[in-house]
Amino acid sequence: MQVSSPIREPLIHGGKTLHDVSEDICRQVEAKPSTAWKIGFVISLAALSIGAISVWVLLWDGIGVWGLNKTVGWAWDITNFVWWVGIGHAGTLISAVLLLFRQKWRMSINRAAEAMTIFAVICALMFPAFHMGRLWLGFYWALPLPNTFGSLWVNFNSPLLWDVFAISTYFTVSLVFWYVGLIPDFATIRDRAKNKISKAVYGGLAMGWIGGAKDWSRYESVSLILAGLATPLVLSVHTIVSMDFATSIIPGWHTTIFPPYFVAGAIFSGFAMVLTLMLVTRKLFKLEDYITIGHIELMNIVIIVTGSIVGIAYITEFFIAWYSGVPGEQYAFINRATGPYWWAYATMMTANVISPQLFWVKKIRTSIVSTFIISIIVNIGMWFERFVIVVTSIHRDFLPSSWAMFYPTIHDVGVYLFSFGFFFTCYLLFSKYFPVINIAEIKGILKSDGEKK
Amino acid sequence: MESTKKQYWKGLEELSKDPEFVKHADKEFSEYLPTNSELEETEAGSTRRDFLKLMGFGMAAVTLASCEAPIRKAIPYVNKPVDVDPGVANYYATTYNQGGDYASIVVKTREGRPIKIEGNKLSKITQGGTNAQIEASVLSLYDKERLAQPLKGGEATDWETLDAEVAAKLTDIAAKGGHIRLVSNTIMSPTALKAIEEFKAKFGNVELVQYDTQSAYGLSKAHKDIYGVAGVPSYHFDKADVIVSFDADFLGSWISPIEYSKGYAKTRKLGPKKKTMSRHYHFESNLSLTGANADYRTPIKPSEQGSAVVALYNEVAAKTGGTSVSGGGDFANVKKAAADLVKAKGKSLVVSGSNDPAIQTLIASINMALANFEKTITLNDYSNARKGDDAQMSNFMADAKAGRLDAVVFLSCNPVYNHSKGAELAESLKKVALTVSTSDRNDETASLVNYVAPNNHFLESWSDSEPKNGTFSLGQPTISPIFKTRQEQESLLSWAGNTTSYFDYLKNNWKENFSEGKEGLAFQSFWDKCLQDGIYETSKENFEINYTMSDDNQAAATIANNYKGDGFELALYQKVAIGDGSQANNPWLQETPDPITKGTWDNYVTVSLSDAKALGITEYEGKSIKVELTVNGASHKLPVVIQPGQAKGTLGLALGYGRKNGGKVANNLGFDANPLVGTLNGGAYFSVTTGVNLVATDEAYQVARTQTHQTYMDRGNIIQEASLKEYQKDPMAGREVPMIATWQDQEHGKVKATTLSLWKGHEYPDHHWGLAIDLNSCTGCSACHVACVAENNIPVVGRQEVINRRDMHWMRIDRYYSSNEEELAKTDGLVDRLAALDIASENPEVTFQPMMCQHCNNAGCETVCPVAATTHSTSGLNQMVYNRCIGTRYCANNCAYKVRRFNWFKYHDNEQFDMNSSMNNDLGKMVLNPDVTVRSRGVMEKCSMCVQRIQSGKLEAKKEDRRTNDADITTACASACPSDAIVFGDMNDDNSQLSQLLRIKNEEGDYGIDKQVNEERAYAVLEETGSKPNVLYLTKIRNTDKKESHA
Amino acid sequence: MTFGKNYLVGVFDDPDVILESIKSVRENGIKIHEIFSPHAIHGIDDYLGYKQSRLPIASFLFGITGASLALFTIIWMLGFDWPMIIGGKDFVSLPPFIPVTFEFTVLLAAHGMVLTFFIVSDLKPWAKPKVFDERCTDDKYIMAIDLGENKIAKDEINKVLSDTGASEVNEKNFK
Repeated sequence: MQVSSPIREPLIHGGKTLHDVSEDICRQVEAKPSTAWKIGFVISLAALSIGAISVWVLLWDGIGVWGLNKTVGWAWDITNFVWWVGIGHAGTLISAVLLLFRQKWRMSINRAAEAMTIFAVICALMFPAFHMGRLWLGFYWALPLPNTFGSLWVNFNSPLLWDVFAISTYFTVSLVFWYVGLIPDFATIRDRAKNKISKAVYGGLAMGWIGGAKDWSRYESVSLILAGLATPLVLSVHTIVSMDFATSIIPGWHTTIFPPYFVAGAIFSGFAMVLTLMLVTRKLFKLEDYITIGHIELMNIVIIVTGSIVGIAYITEFFIAWYSGVPGEQYAFINRATGPYWWAYATMMTANVISPQLFWVKKIRTSIVSTFIISIIVNIGMWFERFVIVVTSIHRDFLPSSWAMFYPTIHDVGVYLFSFGFFFTCYLLFSKYFPVINIAEIKGILKSDGEKK
Repeated sequence: MESTKKQYWKGLEELSKDPEFVKHADKEFSEYLPTNSELEETEAGSTRRDFLKLMGFGMAAVTLASCEAPIRKAIPYVNKPVDVDPGVANYYATTYNQGGDYASIVVKTREGRPIKIEGNKLSKITQGGTNAQIEASVLSLYDKERLAQPLKGGEATDWETLDAEVAAKLTDIAAKGGHIRLVSNTIMSPTALKAIEEFKAKFGNVELVQYDTQSAYGLSKAHKDIYGVAGVPSYHFDKADVIVSFDADFLGSWISPIEYSKGYAKTRKLGPKKKTMSRHYHFESNLSLTGANADYRTPIKPSEQGSAVVALYNEVAAKTGGTSVSGGGDFANVKKAAADLVKAKGKSLVVSGSNDPAIQTLIASINMALANFEKTITLNDYSNARKGDDAQMSNFMADAKAGRLDAVVFLSCNPVYNHSKGAELAESLKKVALTVSTSDRNDETASLVNYVAPNNHFLESWSDSEPKNGTFSLGQPTISPIFKTRQEQESLLSWAGNTTSYFDYLKNNWKENFSEGKEGLAFQSFWDKCLQDGIYETSKENFEINYTMSDDNQAAATIANNYKGDGFELALYQKVAIGDGSQANNPWLQETPDPITKGTWDNYVTVSLSDAKALGITEYEGKSIKVELTVNGASHKLPVVIQPGQAKGTLGLALGYGRKNGGKVANNLGFDANPLVGTLNGGAYFSVTTGVNLVATDEAYQVARTQTHQTYMDRGNIIQEASLKEYQKDPMAGREVPMIATWQDQEHGKVKATTLSLWKGHEYPDHHWGLAIDLNSCTGCSACHVACVAENNIPVVGRQEVINRRDMHWMRIDRYYSSNEEELAKTDGLVDRLAALDIASENPEVTFQPMMCQHCNNAGCETVCPVAATTHSTSGLNQMVYNRCIGTRYCANNCAYKVRRFNWFKYHDNEQFDMNSSMNNDLGKMVLNPDVTVRSRGVMEKCSMCVQRIQSGKLEAKKEDRRTNDADITTACASACPSDAIVFGDMNDDNSQLSQLLRIKNEEGDYGIDKQVNEERAYAVLEETGSKPNVLYLTKIRNTDKKESHA
Repeated sequence: MTFGKNYLVGVFDDPDVILESIKSVRENGIKIHEIFSPHAIHGIDDYLGYKQSRLPIASFLFGITGASLALFTIIWMLGFDWPMIIGGKDFVSLPPFIPVTFEFTVLLAAHGMVLTFFIVSDLKPWAKPKVFDERCTDDKYIMAIDLGENKIAKDEINKVLSDTGASEVNEKNFK
């Protein structure tokens, strides 16, 4: 049951009525797109199409257009993959975990966060696809399909195959979770819709929802169970991603601390990304009353916590390397900090461990500007964390004879840009045509708090 | 009552109830039906059903095979040649003989195409070994830039006109009594020489001028003057306990490296029965392949060559009661060397690579004093490998310059490029009325002559050789000439008016001179035998040698006033792969990393560490600068490589680069250093000791090197080494056995890490293939490397891609230097120490480690492949399935040995990689091994342990219904190795060479992955990772008094 | 007399009010067709006497199926259909099979349940819903009473509704 103390400050400000809520949130769906939105959309499309050139070159000429070599077989591709997946996780965590914990403050942000999850996961999926030498075969050979090769099956021992299952499950489940949540809101828009087309479209999307009590109760239990499933799922997904490295034998990869440390990192970067996006959306669509400083502060606190966990993980790695007494292991970590890629390591340390600590200061924690800046810094830091793990571990592993450097090419950048273009294009389309805040849920909590006097 | 039913007997047997008949009465075919016995289920014989099954299977197989396969035209033989069966390889014994470099070889042909060169085990000289250049020469056969027809004044013409005109011109020159010269590199073919004699006889005033790009003139002259021997002595390294070499790179490029490697390696082998090995002292300026293998190496300047030899001479003289000569100096290790030499009197050997008769005289006397003649040095079977006469050559140059010559015929030699006075010659040739070249391409010389009569490739030719006095070798064509070319001997003969084909000429010559008067059938069988074996050894009666004493004081005096040096000194050398550059258009050789610098596609100045520091030259991850090298006023901008072991104050520079007309691949690679060669005491002098200077420029440049980190960071799990003394005390010396603590510590103590495994492992019931590599006898010569490239259709990727660290070699030879002790001494703390370990020492100990797929029984690569494209065979092989690979590169990342190679681009039929000539033009493609797939873009590849050879070997054995043995199967690398450092075999077979070497004992019925290896020296690289490789290494043992501390 | 189904539609402004109204309506023995609201009203099931949804059970069953199906298939594929030596591991080595099994379990559990939900609640893009009052997806709470099902007279029900706080009461007829 929804109980909340009267002394807690309301989650929704400005004394909204149910109708106000529908109004505020459906406004930007029904109104013409704003210039700010248009500009943003054009930029994203530009990024997308420039990046598309690199993707084309990559597929036409071969993986050689990237900066990889015989020693460093993965670099930006897998770095970006892990980075995007990490970002994706925040959405699920916010809606699922906070739902289980009955954290009602999630309601203003979970819709957007889930959308972010879905687009981020698609971006993540791009990289394992593009990094394949023979994508045209790989995309279906990676699945255990009956075939004419003498019923040759896939290798279920391979972490990469675990990824295939984990990511695809994660993607489809989050998609469903998100859509189920959208259905009642689509119904709202449908019933408000003036012109035929949008009535038809949103009608279709709403799948004939009319909010009967029976449906609501089913709806409730479905979202509760989905949340219950999504929570272990999201943890398992990043655990499995971390196993790509943890189950290998390369010093710096072969580390049992990876699963928890990756998950923490995921929440860390995810929340940062959510903040970045929400702060923009909030401004763009004037949703200050729904996404309050309170929300931002709460998320910043999560960032402090996860940031510190990640920091501890870094230190632990070094301790274990020293404690193991394995020369290769020790070298791998000393090389990270002092080798040719020390700058990447330094960036990671400052961005991920130092910068979040600023949030201990309430002033910074509750300031929009500083939050925005730090949230971006954190995401840069987390990208470098993955780069450090992937590249600096393999570029100098067991045999010094094959030690080599990795230098990115224009196409490494291009494909990364492509994923950005894709992400923001999708996000902007979503924020224009879908309700960015869960109308039904907000209405649900209007009564229990923030009641108008 | 009797039945009225008629019965028809199948025959009398039925009537008589013959048991044999009754047994088979129910069968449709009563006799055994000859179908494939391999597929018989029961010994009851095959039935129609079996036949149908087989046919059905056949159909299915064919249909499946046709799936996805592009349609290709295959034109069958109209009349099939007797000895060519599609899919079956033929082997022909023949001879490699290029400018004095000799090897008796066996050529593998498929459908009439030579595709691979193997050593001929019957030869007593090369003993089945090859080297990089020989292995690669098969690709030169398919070089589309060879001349396709004769040239007249640079224009294509036909043989008739050429012959007519050349013959005519020669005749009237002869009539006028004009001077005719035949210029050539060493000719060791008796029949060729006979043909030349005939040519001389026809045209009178003809002189044959022989020169060598790597001249041993000084050596042969000294021995001619002292002992009257018409050749270079033959050395027996296998009999030497102590070897002292002054700048003689006898394992890499000096006279007859294969022969010497074979001998040298024998003295370096160790085992339970043989616990002694030779000791090798080396004095040189550049770090050569041989120097890298030495036990004691002393860097000296070229100008100190003489005094070092004198120093040794005097030391030896003092100890043997001889008289000392003036000169000498104080050099590290000379005293020690002398002591060891005298101790090993008669079982020692002193050699020098110097081309100065004076020095060689002293060397001869030292060997004389050590009583080495007739033991480690023999003169009766002197070698014909180097007959070049520098004096005669410079006379020729002078004559040509003075315009005294009327006709010059260059016999497949290229002096304009590879002689120091080439430029001058290019000018003088204008003054010669008739100039002819028989070069196979329009090279620097050929492009300047009136007529080019292109010679066949040696694989298209008949030939014979006399590498050593009394030892002969036959060469037969393995393919008919691809172009309208003709053997140069045949050309000479036809100009001399003799129209017999060279084959008949050769055969007749052998009949007259070698067959000891055999006639008719007897001769035919003699001839066939020789042809099949490729070699023929006569018992020539030994001629008397009078061992006179030489005038050593005179020699010492000459040395004293000849050798001066100031400032930097330049030492020119030939690389193992590129040599003198005559095969520079061969991409396999261009991309073969130099064993020492690991540089490809380039030559560069090598500078010592301290000089580099002084000049401010730095190297970071292979990136460096260009330097300005000034030699006698002329200055050149060249790449630079900082070379540990380079003598302080000296610079190294390789010959064989900077070709102008070598071909698309060869042209404009590196810098042509031939003009820098000087003369000293009559012989070509491959050093410049005065007027050399070097300054750093600010032009950044990167030499394409396949290895940019030089030390093994003191990681005992990679290189395990010890000194001989330690080894004799304890065979386990230098071994690092990873131990691990278990919960049982208290009772049992720590256990071997390798004994712990999560998995119970699989049985290899039939075969268990493996390799053993002896780090002690591996000289790093790279023959195996090129053999692997040739055998497995490995693409060449070009300079830029090597810089991008994307070389495709399945087998590489890791070269590690010892770390710098001084630097290490300075450090405190782990971080500093690791940084210092990365710095090589000024004069390092060197270790070569051939590294290919280790075929781990618990392979990391297999586990991580999402599509099971790489799995393990039931005979221990790590298999790579190209067709299944989707190219995630996860396997390469998870390979601890980094031996997997990814096809970053499409390397075949792609003009972006046209330097990869074996896959980018129809002619080049003829060299491809049809048993090995040419890998497509986006798939992973790696060493397969020559699985195609294993399969064909198994088939051979199967045909004879027996188990395979060593004779059936060996890998390309193992068969090429001139020092027998690589041994392939079946670890399940206790009698295999491999099991013998590793002393493997198999318990009956236990064929698990953990073999009982009893050889103490055997270890697996990165043992502690538990990958359980099937490739084992034998520790490196150095014959030094104490193991030099590697920090 | 009109044809088709006739409904009495009570429109409320506040969830608490409608809950109260439901109580008295049912006490009066009036059968409620269904309540429509813009958001889930917690505890309404008890007022209406709805049983707890059985979707969780469905989800559980789907999950079990997924787990066993995945594990069986993997073991059959790698262990029996085509065994291959991979990294020296046993053909059937359980630990590496767990991740995929788990993921597949979640996959089936989630999608199975949602599909069931769509089916039982008759949600489909081409659905033509009976909308009693358009505002029920905005800010109104609707109580629909099927007159056909109730013996009680229309105006009596009407009275109860307005007494218990319905802001308006309309009639609706579906042909």
